[in-house]
Amino acid sequence: MKRNGSSSRFRQSITTVLYPLFFGILILVLWQTQALHAMLNIDPFVLPLPSRINSIIGESLPKIMTNVWATLIVAVAGLLLGSLFGYLIAIVATVFPKWGAGGLSIVTAFNAIPIVALAPVITNWTKDVSSDANIRSMVAKIIVVLLMCTASMSLNAYRGLTELRPFSQDLLESYAAGKFTIFRKLRLPNSVPYIFTALRVSVPLSVISALVSEYFAEYVIGVGRQIRENIVLGQYPTAWAYITVACLIGIVMYAVLIVCESILLRHRK
Amino acid sequence: MKHMTTMKRFSCAVLSAAMMLSLAACGSSSTGESSTTSNTASESSSSTDTSSSTATTTLSAEDVIKTAAEEGKVGNWGLGNEYEVQALLAKYGEPTTFLSQAFDMDGFDDDSITLASAMTYNELGLVKNSYDGGYDYGDTVGVIDMNDEGVAMLEDNIFCTQAFAEANPNTVKAFIYASLKGWEYACANPEEAAEIVYNYGSSVSSDHQAYMADEVKKLVETDTNGDAVTDYGKMDEDAMQQTLDLAKQYITLDDSTAASKLESLTLDDIRDTSYWEAATASTDGDFGTLEKTDVSIQLKWLPQAQFMGYYVALEKGYYSDAGLNVNIVAGGGDISETTAVYNGSVDFGVTWVSNLIAADAAGMGLTEVSQIFQRSGLVLVYKLANFS
Repeated sequence: MKRNGSSSRFRQSITTVLYPLFFGILILVLWQTQALHAMLNIDPFVLPLPSRINSIIGESLPKIMTNVWATLIVAVAGLLLGSLFGYLIAIVATVFPKWGAGGLSIVTAFNAIPIVALAPVITNWTKDVSSDANIRSMVAKIIVVLLMCTASMSLNAYRGLTELRPFSQDLLESYAAGKFTIFRKLRLPNSVPYIFTALRVSVPLSVISALVSEYFAEYVIGVGRQIRENIVLGQYPTAWAYITVACLIGIVMYAVLIVCESILLRHRK
Repeated sequence: MKHMTTMKRFSCAVLSAAMMLSLAACGSSSTGESSTTSNTASESSSSTDTSSSTATTTLSAEDVIKTAAEEGKVGNWGLGNEYEVQALLAKYGEPTTFLSQAFDMDGFDDDSITLASAMTYNELGLVKNSYDGGYDYGDTVGVIDMNDEGVAMLEDNIFCTQAFAEANPNTVKAFIYASLKGWEYACANPEEAAEIVYNYGSSVSSDHQAYMADEVKKLVETDTNGDAVTDYGKMDEDAMQQTLDLAKQYITLDDSTAASKLESLTLDDIRDTSYWEAATASTDGDFGTLEKTDVSIQLKWLPQAQFMGYYVALEKGYYSDAGLNVNIVAGGGDISETTAVYNGSVDFGVTWVSNLIAADAAGMGLTEVSQIFQRSGLVLVYKLANFS
């Protein structure tokens, strides 16, 4: 049986890793040979070749890394704080079910505000946080990411905390378990897979929010800001170098999440 | 949340990459560069304390710049608009960093930026004036002029690709001829020009449009030394050279190919005076058969009196007299004017010379055929009360 299990997992990793990898390589080859440009009728100037993008990343790696760190700190801090905040809201909604549902609707409404509208407001709001523009800009950007990441966590965690296996709550209550015990032994463990479902949405969202919020920040730094500056100046190869780096940030963060998930949830499957 | 679980089936790589790509698309469209007028200055509280500042002695430009720079409160919009400010900061030995300024003057109003960038014809008017959208600071603000400081870079021009100019020389000449006629009329009748622009779908109020027309007239008719210019649209060698020199110094490019191209650029790579010379030599605007009669021009920004010459030429029929059917395309959107001209989606464009230089460094092969603004319209504005 054990052998069988590992072979099916092996087959699964083929489909989840090798197929996309193959697809990615295919796209890269089409891109580099300009078949992609011919197919989509794009100018190689506006969509530079991978080799050119790659050489720029190599050339100006130190500057790129400075911007990557700025973006990564904002994305990760916003993701963690937003998820924590979202989970707390879910707990509050579980404990006080009467107005909990209403609270969750408000969170969802917040999530619907476009970053373009939210970011300038937050930048304005955090003007007195620090006399250092770098710090107050970072705070503003983190708050934007936080607000974006809160909703998916609170909605998913709420489901995890409330949609329990049939009769499990009744069973615990029949043992005279208190509310806190039910929460600790039943609700909390039940919500863990839902946390990861939320994070799968939040991780890419946190990177996107961080990049877009950089447009509106006072302090000029970050991968998103560099993408925009370079596109405006007609520096498409450099802009694409930053776009590539932005993709890598998203992929790495997602990969870290998947690894964490497979470790933490390995006994559940 | 069903859709979230189905996501598991996708690979992490493809999913994230797709999301990032969609971000790139949404990113460039989410510029939020609405016109400055949409923000009405709601508070006039600051006008009370500024009235007492009239008695205090004003600081020199150098002192103001140094004070603001050391506090880290110099503002500019960035995105290729920052080079003159950086040159000015460097002139006084200050680091060339600046705060990213939004497209309104709220940061200046609330003192988070004490030395803010402003165009004489746009933001400066909003800061000083009391009409709708203005902040009503009147004479309680001081101004540092890039021309006076010797760091002026030339701004609005007319450009096209070298290839287009070579293939359509008569069209280019006729377009310059009619456009300059429009500018000439607009500068002689700024009030009427402002109204014409306003009727073409202006982005700002008619009061501000009238202010803008008066200020733009000064930029078209005065050079960087403050002398009168009678040849509209000429390309002054010294001012162009200064622009190119400063551009080489302050445009930083990560792409080494583009950076070395920038270093090697000469005036002949970025402008061609022959079309303007032919256009201004003509007395009747007849340049023979036009290679292309339907042409378009993309502005650097939304419709406003900054571009009044083109709207006047259109309204007064100067373009049609020259045999041209001209479509004026508003700027300020997703695709910058340099890229739009390079792509061929428009034939001509209006941009700042520094932006054209950056685009040529990237290999767009653009060439300026006329220089409309003869001096820099960029100033740094500050409240006198903050520097006494």
